[in-house]
Amino acid sequence: MSEQEYYVPHGTYWPIIGSIGVSTLFVGFANQMHGVEWGGSVMALGLAITVFMMFGWFGQVVNESTNGIYNKQVDRSFRWGMSWFIFSEVMFFAAFFGALFYARALSVPWLGGADNNIFTPDLWNAFSASWHQMAFLAPGTELQSGTVMSFPDVPASGIATATPADVVDPWGLPALNTALLLASGVTLTFAHHALRAGHRNQIVGWLVATIALGVAFLGFQIMEYSHAYHDGLKLTSGIYGSTFYMLTGFHGFHVTVGAIMLTVILYRVQKGHFDADNHFGFEGVAWYWHFVDVVWLGLFVFVYWL
Amino acid sequence: MTGVVSVIIIIAILVALGFGLIGMVKGGKSGSDKMFKSLVIRVSLSVLLFILVMFAGYMGWITPNAIMVDAPIISTPVQK
Repeated sequence: MSEQEYYVPHGTYWPIIGSIGVSTLFVGFANQMHGVEWGGSVMALGLAITVFMMFGWFGQVVNESTNGIYNKQVDRSFRWGMSWFIFSEVMFFAAFFGALFYARALSVPWLGGADNNIFTPDLWNAFSASWHQMAFLAPGTELQSGTVMSFPDVPASGIATATPADVVDPWGLPALNTALLLASGVTLTFAHHALRAGHRNQIVGWLVATIALGVAFLGFQIMEYSHAYHDGLKLTSGIYGSTFYMLTGFHGFHVTVGAIMLTVILYRVQKGHFDADNHFGFEGVAWYWHFVDVVWLGLFVFVYWL
Repeated sequence: MTGVVSVIIIIAILVALGFGLIGMVKGGKSGSDKMFKSLVIRVSLSVLLFILVMFAGYMGWITPNAIMVDAPIISTPVQK
Protein backbone atom coordinates (compact mmCIF):
# COMPACT_ATOMS: atom_id res chain seq x y z
CA MET A 1 0.00 0.00 0.00
CA SER A 2 1.40 3.41 -0.91
CA GLU A 3 2.35 5.98 1.72
CA GLN A 4 -0.04 8.58 0.30
CA GLU A 5 -3.11 6.40 0.31
CA TYR A 6 -5.06 6.46 3.55
CA TYR A 7 -5.76 2.99 4.85
CA VAL A 8 -9.46 2.24 5.05
CA PRO A 9 -10.23 -0.86 7.09
CA HIS A 10 -12.40 -3.53 5.50
CA GLY A 11 -15.78 -4.45 6.90
CA THR A 12 -15.60 -6.67 9.93
CA TYR A 13 -17.95 -8.48 12.29
CA TRP A 14 -15.57 -8.53 15.30
CA PRO A 15 -16.87 -5.32 16.98
CA ILE A 16 -20.44 -6.63 17.22
CA ILE A 17 -19.17 -9.95 18.57
CA GLY A 18 -17.15 -8.01 21.12
CA SER A 19 -20.24 -6.01 22.14
CA ILE A 20 -22.29 -9.16 22.56
CA GLY A 21 -19.48 -10.79 24.56
CA VAL A 22 -18.97 -7.86 26.94
CA SER A 23 -22.72 -7.30 27.42
CA THR A 24 -23.25 -10.98 28.20
CA LEU A 25 -20.32 -10.86 30.62
CA PHE A 26 -21.75 -7.90 32.54
CA VAL A 27 -25.32 -9.20 32.60
CA GLY A 28 -23.93 -12.47 34.01
CA PHE A 29 -21.72 -10.67 36.50
CA ALA A 30 -24.51 -8.40 37.76
CA ASN A 31 -26.83 -11.36 38.25
CA GLN A 32 -24.09 -13.39 39.89
CA MET A 33 -23.65 -10.52 42.38
CA HIS A 34 -27.37 -10.68 43.11
CA GLY A 35 -27.18 -14.41 43.73
CA VAL A 36 -29.13 -15.38 40.61
CA GLU A 37 -28.60 -19.04 39.79
CA TRP A 38 -27.66 -18.63 36.13
CA GLY A 39 -25.42 -15.60 36.73
CA GLY A 40 -22.16 -17.56 36.82
CA SER A 41 -22.84 -19.56 33.65
CA VAL A 42 -23.87 -16.49 31.66
CA MET A 43 -20.76 -14.71 32.91
CA ALA A 44 -18.56 -17.60 31.76
CA LEU A 45 -20.29 -17.56 28.36
CA GLY A 46 -19.70 -13.80 28.05
CA LEU A 47 -16.06 -14.24 28.94
CA ALA A 48 -15.68 -17.03 26.36
CA ILE A 49 -17.24 -14.85 23.63
CA THR A 50 -14.98 -11.93 24.59
CA VAL A 51 -11.83 -14.07 24.53
CA PHE A 52 -12.93 -15.56 21.19
CA MET A 53 -13.37 -12.01 19.81
CA MET A 54 -9.91 -10.99 21.06
CA PHE A 55 -8.22 -14.00 19.46
CA GLY A 56 -10.08 -13.46 16.23
CA TRP A 57 -9.72 -9.70 15.95
CA PHE A 58 -6.14 -9.39 17.17
CA GLY A 59 -5.15 -12.39 15.06
CA GLN A 60 -6.62 -10.71 11.99
CA VAL A 61 -4.68 -7.51 12.69
CA VAL A 62 -1.45 -9.49 13.19
CA ASN A 63 -2.02 -11.32 9.90
CA GLU A 64 -2.66 -8.08 8.05
CA SER A 65 0.49 -6.61 9.56
CA THR A 66 2.70 -9.56 8.63
CA ASN A 67 1.21 -9.57 5.10
CA GLY A 68 2.47 -6.00 4.66
CA ILE A 69 -0.98 -4.42 4.22
CA TYR A 70 -0.21 -1.60 6.67
CA ASN A 71 1.80 1.50 5.82
CA LYS A 72 3.39 4.16 8.03
CA GLN A 73 0.08 5.92 8.54
CA VAL A 74 -1.34 2.79 10.13
CA ASP A 75 1.81 2.42 12.22
CA ARG A 76 1.30 5.96 13.52
CA SER A 77 -2.34 5.33 14.35
CA PHE A 78 -1.36 2.18 16.29
CA ARG A 79 1.18 4.17 18.29
CA TRP A 80 -1.35 6.91 19.06
CA GLY A 81 -3.99 4.31 19.90
CA MET A 82 -1.61 2.71 22.39
CA SER A 83 -0.76 6.09 23.90
CA TRP A 84 -4.46 6.90 24.50
CA PHE A 85 -4.98 3.50 26.06
CA ILE A 86 -2.00 4.19 28.32
CA PHE A 87 -3.40 7.63 29.17
CA SER A 88 -6.64 6.00 30.33
CA GLU A 89 -4.64 3.52 32.43
CA VAL A 90 -2.60 6.29 34.02
CA MET A 91 -5.81 8.17 34.87
CA PHE A 92 -7.34 4.97 36.26
CA PHE A 93 -4.51 4.40 38.72
CA ALA A 94 -4.16 8.13 39.41
CA ALA A 95 -7.76 8.07 40.66
CA PHE A 96 -7.06 5.24 43.09
CA PHE A 97 -3.78 6.72 44.30
CA GLY A 98 -5.67 10.01 44.66
CA ALA A 99 -8.31 8.24 46.77
CA LEU A 100 -5.54 6.75 48.92
CA PHE A 101 -4.00 10.19 49.44
CA TYR A 102 -7.36 11.84 50.13
CA ALA A 103 -8.44 9.25 52.66
CA ARG A 104 -5.12 9.10 54.42
CA ALA A 105 -4.05 12.73 54.43
CA LEU A 106 -7.43 14.47 54.61
CA SER A 107 -10.64 12.62 55.34
CA VAL A 108 -9.42 10.23 58.05
CA PRO A 109 -7.68 13.00 60.07
CA TRP A 110 -10.82 15.14 59.66
CA LEU A 111 -12.96 12.35 61.05
CA GLY A 112 -10.59 12.24 63.99
CA GLY A 113 -11.15 15.93 64.62
CA ALA A 114 -8.08 17.41 62.95
CA ASP A 115 -8.34 20.99 61.66
CA ASN A 116 -11.87 21.31 62.91
CA ASN A 117 -13.84 24.12 61.41
CA ILE A 118 -17.36 24.71 60.24
CA PHE A 119 -16.90 22.32 57.32
CA THR A 120 -15.31 19.57 59.40
CA PRO A 121 -17.04 19.50 62.76
CA ASP A 122 -16.17 16.84 65.26
CA LEU A 123 -18.25 14.21 63.58
CA TRP A 124 -17.61 11.30 65.79
CA ASN A 125 -16.16 11.98 69.20
CA ALA A 126 -15.15 8.40 69.85
CA PHE A 127 -13.16 8.17 66.64
CA SER A 128 -9.42 8.04 67.01
CA ALA A 129 -7.93 8.65 63.59
CA SER A 130 -5.24 6.27 62.52
CA TRP A 131 -4.44 5.24 59.01
CA HIS A 132 -3.41 1.71 59.81
CA GLN A 133 -6.46 0.61 61.66
CA MET A 134 -9.24 -1.32 60.16
CA ALA A 135 -12.31 0.74 60.88
CA PHE A 136 -14.48 -1.76 62.63
CA LEU A 137 -17.86 -0.54 63.72
CA ALA A 138 -19.82 -1.70 66.65
CA PRO A 139 -23.58 -1.78 66.14
CA GLY A 140 -25.41 1.24 67.42
CA THR A 141 -22.38 3.48 67.10
CA GLU A 142 -23.44 6.98 68.06
CA LEU A 143 -22.32 10.10 66.28
CA GLN A 144 -21.84 13.35 68.14
CA SER A 145 -25.05 14.72 66.70
CA GLY A 146 -26.89 11.87 68.33
CA THR A 147 -27.53 10.00 65.10
CA VAL A 148 -27.15 6.31 65.62
CA MET A 149 -25.54 4.62 62.67
CA SER A 150 -26.81 1.25 61.74
CA PHE A 151 -24.69 -1.29 59.93
CA PRO A 152 -26.73 -4.32 59.11
CA ASP A 153 -23.64 -6.40 58.35
CA VAL A 154 -22.23 -5.92 61.81
CA PRO A 155 -23.24 -8.69 64.22
CA ALA A 156 -24.75 -7.73 67.57
CA SER A 157 -21.48 -8.40 69.33
CA GLY A 158 -19.61 -5.96 67.09
CA ILE A 159 -16.42 -7.09 65.40
CA ALA A 160 -13.14 -7.73 67.11
CA THR A 161 -10.50 -5.17 66.31
CA ALA A 162 -7.36 -6.22 64.55
CA THR A 163 -4.77 -4.36 62.60
CA PRO A 164 -3.41 -4.99 59.15
CA ALA A 165 -0.19 -5.44 61.13
CA ASP A 166 -1.38 -8.89 61.94
CA VAL A 167 -1.89 -9.66 58.31
CA VAL A 168 0.47 -7.63 56.15
CA ASP A 169 4.16 -7.62 56.94
CA PRO A 170 6.04 -5.48 54.40
CA TRP A 171 9.27 -7.36 55.03
CA GLY A 172 7.70 -10.60 53.88
CA LEU A 173 5.76 -11.21 50.70
CA PRO A 174 5.41 -7.57 49.60
CA ALA A 175 9.19 -7.10 49.59
CA LEU A 176 9.70 -10.42 47.80
CA ASN A 177 7.02 -9.49 45.25
CA THR A 178 8.61 -6.10 44.66
CA ALA A 179 11.95 -7.79 44.03
CA LEU A 180 10.29 -10.24 41.62
CA LEU A 181 8.53 -7.52 39.65
CA LEU A 182 11.62 -5.32 39.52
CA ALA A 183 13.63 -8.30 38.30
CA SER A 184 11.00 -8.82 35.58
CA GLY A 185 11.56 -5.20 34.51
CA VAL A 186 15.28 -5.93 34.23
CA THR A 187 14.80 -9.16 32.23
CA LEU A 188 12.35 -7.40 29.93
CA THR A 189 14.94 -4.68 29.32
CA PHE A 190 17.45 -7.40 28.36
CA ALA A 191 14.86 -8.89 25.99
CA HIS A 192 14.30 -5.44 24.49
CA HIS A 193 18.04 -5.01 24.01
CA ALA A 194 18.34 -8.46 22.41
CA LEU A 195 15.49 -7.62 20.02
CA ARG A 196 17.14 -4.38 18.97
CA ALA A 197 20.40 -6.28 18.46
CA GLY A 198 18.61 -9.02 16.50
CA HIS A 199 19.41 -11.94 18.83
CA ARG A 200 16.24 -13.97 18.68
CA ASN A 201 17.26 -16.81 21.03
CA GLN A 202 18.18 -14.34 23.73
CA ILE A 203 14.87 -12.53 23.34
CA VAL A 204 13.00 -15.78 23.88
CA GLY A 205 15.02 -16.61 27.00
CA TRP A 206 14.60 -13.19 28.59
CA LEU A 207 10.90 -13.06 27.72
CA VAL A 208 10.30 -16.49 29.28
CA ALA A 209 12.10 -15.27 32.41
CA THR A 210 9.94 -12.10 32.48
CA ILE A 211 6.71 -14.08 32.18
CA ALA A 212 7.86 -16.57 34.84
CA LEU A 213 8.65 -13.72 37.24
CA GLY A 214 5.24 -12.16 36.57
CA VAL A 215 3.46 -15.47 37.22
CA ALA A 216 5.49 -15.98 40.42
CA PHE A 217 4.41 -12.49 41.52
CA LEU A 218 0.77 -13.41 40.96
CA GLY A 219 1.17 -16.68 42.87
CA PHE A 220 2.61 -14.89 45.90
CA GLN A 221 -0.05 -12.20 45.63
CA ILE A 222 -2.75 -14.88 45.83
CA MET A 223 -0.99 -16.29 48.92
CA GLU A 224 -0.92 -12.87 50.52
CA TYR A 225 -4.58 -12.26 49.76
CA SER A 226 -5.56 -15.58 51.21
CA HIS A 227 -3.51 -14.86 54.33
CA ALA A 228 -4.86 -11.31 54.70
CA TYR A 229 -8.47 -12.33 54.06
CA HIS A 230 -8.44 -15.17 56.57
CA ASP A 231 -6.94 -12.86 59.17
CA GLY A 232 -9.78 -10.40 58.73
CA LEU A 233 -8.55 -7.78 56.26
CA LYS A 234 -11.38 -7.46 53.74
CA LEU A 235 -12.76 -4.95 51.27
CA THR A 236 -15.20 -4.00 54.00
CA SER A 237 -12.45 -3.47 56.59
CA GLY A 238 -12.67 0.29 56.56
CA ILE A 239 -10.89 2.65 54.23
CA TYR A 240 -7.55 0.84 54.56
CA GLY A 241 -9.08 -2.45 53.45
CA SER A 242 -10.96 -0.77 50.60
CA THR A 243 -7.97 1.09 49.18
CA PHE A 244 -5.63 -1.84 49.80
CA TYR A 245 -7.76 -4.29 47.83
CA MET A 246 -8.79 -1.81 45.13
CA LEU A 247 -5.20 -0.84 44.36
CA THR A 248 -3.51 -4.22 44.74
CA GLY A 249 -6.45 -6.06 43.15
CA PHE A 250 -6.54 -3.95 40.02
CA HIS A 251 -2.77 -4.03 39.88
CA GLY A 252 -2.82 -7.84 40.03
CA PHE A 253 -5.39 -7.86 37.23
CA HIS A 254 -3.05 -5.69 35.14
CA VAL A 255 -0.11 -8.01 35.82
CA THR A 256 -2.30 -10.89 34.61
CA VAL A 257 -3.20 -9.03 31.42
CA GLY A 258 0.46 -8.02 30.94
CA ALA A 259 1.63 -11.62 31.36
CA ILE A 260 -0.90 -12.75 28.73
CA MET A 261 0.26 -10.00 26.36
CA LEU A 262 3.91 -10.96 26.91
CA THR A 263 3.03 -14.58 26.14
CA VAL A 264 1.47 -13.48 22.85
CA ILE A 265 4.60 -11.42 22.10
CA LEU A 266 6.76 -14.46 22.90
CA TYR A 267 4.75 -16.48 20.38
CA ARG A 268 5.12 -13.72 17.80
CA VAL A 269 8.88 -13.47 18.39
CA GLN A 270 9.17 -17.22 17.75
CA LYS A 271 7.13 -16.79 14.58
CA GLY A 272 9.58 -14.12 13.43
CA HIS A 273 7.08 -11.29 13.34
CA PHE A 274 9.58 -8.69 14.61
CA ASP A 275 12.95 -7.42 13.50
CA ALA A 276 15.45 -4.95 14.97
CA ASP A 277 13.76 -1.94 13.34
CA ASN A 278 10.14 -2.99 13.26
CA HIS A 279 8.64 -4.22 16.51
CA PHE A 280 5.90 -1.90 17.68
CA GLY A 281 3.90 -4.80 19.19
CA PHE A 282 6.82 -5.56 21.46
CA GLU A 283 7.34 -1.90 22.35
CA GLY A 284 3.70 -1.38 23.32
CA VAL A 285 3.63 -4.43 25.59
CA ALA A 286 7.07 -3.62 27.06
CA TRP A 287 5.96 -0.12 27.98
CA TYR A 288 2.78 -1.50 29.53
CA TRP A 289 4.82 -3.92 31.66
CA HIS A 290 7.15 -1.15 32.80
CA PHE A 291 4.11 0.93 33.73
CA VAL A 292 2.56 -1.91 35.77
CA ASP A 293 5.94 -2.36 37.45
CA VAL A 294 6.06 1.34 38.41
CA VAL A 295 2.50 1.19 39.76
CA TRP A 296 3.54 -1.66 42.06
CA LEU A 297 6.60 0.27 43.18
CA GLY A 298 4.31 3.19 44.08
CA LEU A 299 2.04 0.81 45.96
CA PHE A 300 4.92 -0.78 47.82
CA VAL A 301 6.32 2.57 48.88
CA PHE A 302 3.06 4.36 49.73
CA VAL A 303 0.81 1.57 50.98
CA TYR A 304 3.35 -0.50 52.86
CA TRP A 305 6.04 1.94 53.91
CA LEU A 306 5.58 5.70 53.76
CA MET B 1 14.24 12.59 54.61
CA THR B 2 13.92 9.08 53.16
CA GLY B 3 10.33 9.94 52.24
CA VAL B 4 11.37 13.09 50.35
CA VAL B 5 14.16 11.26 48.50
CA SER B 6 11.76 8.40 47.66
CA VAL B 7 9.17 10.79 46.25
CA ILE B 8 11.86 12.56 44.17
CA ILE B 9 13.04 9.21 42.78
CA ILE B 10 9.43 8.20 42.01
CA ILE B 11 8.89 11.47 40.14
CA ALA B 12 12.13 10.83 38.21
CA ILE B 13 10.90 7.30 37.38
CA LEU B 14 7.60 8.73 36.08
CA VAL B 15 9.48 11.28 33.97
CA ALA B 16 11.68 8.51 32.50
CA LEU B 17 8.58 6.43 31.80
CA GLY B 18 7.01 9.49 30.15
CA PHE B 19 10.02 9.98 27.89
CA GLY B 20 9.80 6.28 27.01
CA LEU B 21 6.18 6.82 25.98
CA ILE B 22 7.12 9.84 23.84
CA GLY B 23 9.80 7.71 22.13
CA MET B 24 7.25 4.95 21.50
CA VAL B 25 4.71 7.34 19.97
CA LYS B 26 7.38 8.98 17.81
CA GLY B 27 8.55 5.66 16.38
CA GLY B 28 11.35 5.14 13.88
CA LYS B 29 14.99 4.65 14.79
CA SER B 30 15.34 7.79 16.93
CA GLY B 31 12.06 7.12 18.78
CA SER B 32 13.04 3.53 19.43
CA ASP B 33 16.45 4.60 20.79
CA LYS B 34 14.85 7.21 23.01
CA MET B 35 12.32 4.71 24.34
CA PHE B 36 14.96 2.11 25.14
CA LYS B 37 17.29 4.54 26.90
CA SER B 38 14.41 6.00 28.97
CA LEU B 39 13.30 2.54 30.05
CA VAL B 40 16.84 1.59 31.08
CA ILE B 41 16.91 4.72 33.26
CA ARG B 42 13.52 3.91 34.75
CA VAL B 43 14.57 0.31 35.61
CA SER B 44 17.83 1.54 37.19
CA LEU B 45 16.02 4.18 39.27
CA SER B 46 13.43 1.62 40.39
CA VAL B 47 16.11 -0.78 41.62
CA LEU B 48 17.79 2.13 43.41
CA LEU B 49 14.52 3.11 45.10
CA PHE B 50 13.82 -0.45 46.24
CA ILE B 51 17.30 -0.73 47.74
CA LEU B 52 16.90 2.66 49.42
CA VAL B 53 13.52 1.79 50.99
CA MET B 54 14.72 -1.62 52.18
CA PHE B 55 17.93 -0.14 53.59
CA ALA B 56 16.06 2.72 55.31
CA GLY B 57 13.64 0.19 56.81
CA TYR B 58 16.52 -1.97 57.99
CA MET B 59 18.26 1.01 59.58
CA GLY B 60 15.03 2.07 61.25
CA TRP B 61 14.85 5.42 59.41
CA ILE B 62 11.35 4.56 58.29
CA THR B 63 8.84 2.20 59.83
CA PRO B 64 6.43 0.14 57.81
CA ASN B 65 2.81 1.20 57.75
CA ALA B 66 1.53 -2.14 58.77
CA ILE B 67 3.30 -2.66 62.07
CA MET B 68 0.97 -1.69 64.85
CA VAL B 69 0.92 -3.04 68.34
CA ASP B 70 -2.64 -2.26 69.24
CA ALA B 71 -5.63 -1.26 67.24
CA PRO B 72 -7.22 1.83 68.73
CA ILE B 73 -10.81 1.42 69.74
CA ILE B 74 -12.60 3.64 67.34
CA SER B 75 -16.19 3.22 68.22
CA THR B 76 -18.18 2.93 71.39
CA PRO B 77 -21.47 1.08 71.42
CA VAL B 78 -24.29 3.15 72.80
CA GLN B 79 -25.29 2.15 76.28
CA LYS B 80 -28.98 1.52 76.41
